[in-house]
Amino acid sequence: MNISEFKDLLIRSLDKESDPAGIPEEIERAGAVFNFGENFQEKVLGRIFDSGLTVVREVEFIRNLNYVFYRIALPGVAAIVLLLISLFLMEGSFSFNSVLGLGNGTEESIITLLTGI
Amino acid sequence: MIMESYRQLDDSELVTASLKGDKTAFGEIVTRYQKMVARTVKGMLGDSVYSEDIGQEVFIKLFYSLSDFRGEAKLSTYIQKIAVNLTLNEIKRRKKFFSMFSQKGNNEMYEFEVADHDTEGKKEASEIVYKALNRMDPKFRIIVTMRMLQGYSTKETAEILDLPLGTVLSRLSRAQEQLKSILHKM
Repeated sequence: MNISEFKDLLIRSLDKESDPAGIPEEIERAGAVFNFGENFQEKVLGRIFDSGLTVVREVEFIRNLNYVFYRIALPGVAAIVLLLISLFLMEGSFSFNSVLGLGNGTEESIITLLTGI
Repeated sequence: MIMESYRQLDDSELVTASLKGDKTAFGEIVTRYQKMVARTVKGMLGDSVYSEDIGQEVFIKLFYSLSDFRGEAKLSTYIQKIAVNLTLNEIKRRKKFFSMFSQKGNNEMYEFEVADHDTEGKKEASEIVYKALNRMDPKFRIIVTMRMLQGYSTKETAEILDLPLGTVLSRLSRAQEQLKSILHKM
């Protein structure tokens, strides 16, 4: 089967009037084979019987975690950058005291603030 | 010898044995239907390791939902529905992921991989199918996969996808037009 005949076969397979039952076999004979890799069955059975339900849930959990991570990663980084910029503008430095909001404070003023004395 | 005896069992007998934890029986179900699942998953997602991962998840989900299988529909239909649902979920997941980083049109969000094949002839035929499907709108791609790669009738396609028959028929016509135009450019 040459390429144009193969393309015709693909288009014909979508004819409403045609019977599509034999089409997958014809496509496969033309060389388009759809299958999973070697030992697919062993891999599936291994995931079910050797590792148990926990692994399946773990896979689901990791996929969901990845998805959530991508959702929060960018806004999270943006929030941190904004925080650092505002910190620098307000305090003028990135020192530990600035991060804690103690940039302009002295020990005495903190004691006064806490004790009211 | 043991595997041979399992090959002669029908689907309902294999399901009953699998529910009792019979590994060989479930292995026979996997062998029997892995090609069918591969056609759906690879048709929708392309030929990549991720497709195989989804394929494995189809059978894992099947195993843990076997107790819900009442035998009213064929086992193949039940598996096919799981494969379609997991594949569509994966497409949605990819769409959400790509939409965070890309302003591209919807069709470009589902770009899938085309792996290398063994021989030149096989590569050509497979690549034509994969590339054509890749360029199709996903709502048409699922219809085309069911029809072209699985050989399902319009009625069967509607049942598996839970769509009205009229919707499947109209999408089939539009999918054919789109496919013609794509293949013409290739």
